[in-house]
Amino acid sequence: MRLSILTIYLKDMKEILRDRKTLIFMLLLPTLVVPVLMNVMIGFISRAEKKARTETLSFAIFGAEFLPELADAFTEEKGFEKVNIPAPEAIESAISENQIKFGLVIPQAVREQFESGEQVAVQLYYNNASVASRVKDRAGKVVREVSERWRSNRLAALGLDTAEKRENLLSPITIEEHGTANMREVLGERLGGMLPYLFIIFCFMGAMYPAIDIGAGEKERGTLETLLLAPIRRNRVVLGKFLVIFTTGLTAALLSLTSIGLMLAVKGQEVTGPLGEVIESISVVDLVLIGAMLIPTAAIFASLLLSISIYAKSFKEASSYCGPLNFLVIIPALVGLFPWVELDWFWAMVPITNISLAIKELVKGTMNYHMLVAILGSNFIIAGALLVFCTKWFEREAVLFRE
Amino acid sequence: MVEVMGLSKCFRRRKQKGRGRYKKVPREEGKMFYAVTDVSFHAEAGAILGLLGPNGAGKTTLLRMLSTVLKPTAGTASFDGIDIIESPLEVRKRIGFLSDDTGLYGRLTAREMIEYFGKLHGMEHRRLKERMNELFALLDMTSFADKRNDSLSSGMKQKVSIARTLVHDPEVIIFDEPTTGLDVAAAEAILQFIESCKAEGKTVLFCTHHMHEVDRLCDRVVVLHQGHLCFQGSVEEMRSRTGKTHLDEAFLALIDSAEVSHAA
Repeated sequence: MRLSILTIYLKDMKEILRDRKTLIFMLLLPTLVVPVLMNVMIGFISRAEKKARTETLSFAIFGAEFLPELADAFTEEKGFEKVNIPAPEAIESAISENQIKFGLVIPQAVREQFESGEQVAVQLYYNNASVASRVKDRAGKVVREVSERWRSNRLAALGLDTAEKRENLLSPITIEEHGTANMREVLGERLGGMLPYLFIIFCFMGAMYPAIDIGAGEKERGTLETLLLAPIRRNRVVLGKFLVIFTTGLTAALLSLTSIGLMLAVKGQEVTGPLGEVIESISVVDLVLIGAMLIPTAAIFASLLLSISIYAKSFKEASSYCGPLNFLVIIPALVGLFPWVELDWFWAMVPITNISLAIKELVKGTMNYHMLVAILGSNFIIAGALLVFCTKWFEREAVLFRE
Repeated sequence: MVEVMGLSKCFRRRKQKGRGRYKKVPREEGKMFYAVTDVSFHAEAGAILGLLGPNGAGKTTLLRMLSTVLKPTAGTASFDGIDIIESPLEVRKRIGFLSDDTGLYGRLTAREMIEYFGKLHGMEHRRLKERMNELFALLDMTSFADKRNDSLSSGMKQKVSIARTLVHDPEVIIFDEPTTGLDVAAAEAILQFIESCKAEGKTVLFCTHHMHEVDRLCDRVVVLHQGHLCFQGSVEEMRSRTGKTHLDEAFLALIDSAEVSHAA
């Protein structure tokens, strides 16, 4: 009888592996597309960042005669190029036409205000819609340096002749930070939310097409009834099919884990500094535990998808049921991305979310292993219960021969 | 030998869309639909029993019960004394089922598919290989045995279905409208195959709408109407009972008289 499960499993796997759609979702997408996309994205972002930091910023300045020190500072600083435009009113249009990146307006009263010890305001105009823009930082840095020189001169005039005295006056109380989190924890918090989301989605996508094909697809093609005529119990049929869907879902998830892992390992050698240290600190044991978390996840998806697929009368109907189920998977997996959601005993009891959060903790290196065991156990119990339900569901004539 | 004893099957009805109540139609009472009601007959080994009836008469439900895919609500049946309710797996080992809408696994080759069903029937490896070679030779399938099913013609596909039905050498073979949609040559091949089954001493249940096929093949016939058995006997008895020479007319006369008795 066990042979019949193996026979069904091997036959369904053979059929599935001859299907182009499954191969794309199970093998190609998780193995190639995400690492390639991530690579392209990282490259694109770092190029944009580098450009924003090093490009020459053209600017216009009005009222330079009122504060020549500031105007000179911009002229002397590398990476700035002065452009003449007719009047301050033309600044905004010049920015929108990309003639200049920013405009500075120094008011006439600035010298008097400075002499009388007041605070001086210089107007900065720039396009603040651009997220990658570094105009404010770079222009602000030049202004701050000039401001710092003036402040030192003012304080020196008040008798504070050393930098230390000046600092003591300006900041009587300071904070010395002693962050308890190590760099792995800090960066893991940012990186660790995204990874489980990807693994869970790939696990679901890898399982979805095979589930529809060997359930509703067989029903539609008329092969399911032929299979039911074979002298094997229906629960063996369910187990054989369940194992196929479980295999494809888990394979997709593990392939995405492996390919992202390999990409990080290769990139990790190039990356120095804290991020490189974080990548190096993720051990093989952590990766094995992440893989272990995906086992019950794949089993839960396999049982759910097979139950839906068997209920549906056709491939099309099953696909329309799997659409909403997508959201039921995406939303709990997304919770792991929220920075304010931490793994505690409450979240440890929420399926899918607990997997997502546990993987995040493993990446951060802060996993509570008692909780890990509880999460794995509860998910295996849920997967088992769903498999029992699926088996009972498959034995119902009203489901198999739905009119 | 097949013995059918008072087989009945009813299904729970689904509510009509947009209505809170169950619409009253014939064969339905409350929430239940009576697909087959108290049907009894028998089929001898080495004989062909025709199963006739208009669309919706309950033929497919009856055949699904006999092949143990559906469980009867009442009554039972046996194949050489083996009960379909008590030993469904043993019954399935003894039957082969072929219908017009039997699907094939498109991404498997004919050989892979036949081998799959042989294994599911628990056939020993060497015996299975021998049997496959026999069937490929008998049905002239060797030239396309290693081609994928989705690339085969309708006639070739029908041969693969026949080979799948016979791979475990069943004692009883059930044909559910096997010639529907086939061209003359392919249909003739099926009819000759049914005759060969009879010659081999197998019990054959043959469900069809084509009366010339019944005339040619069947030793006895059973007629179903609205889930009830309304006639069983030989083809000649069917003619003499109705007084019609042509079998189509005799069949329609039986259905008409069943309609009258149901209405009464």
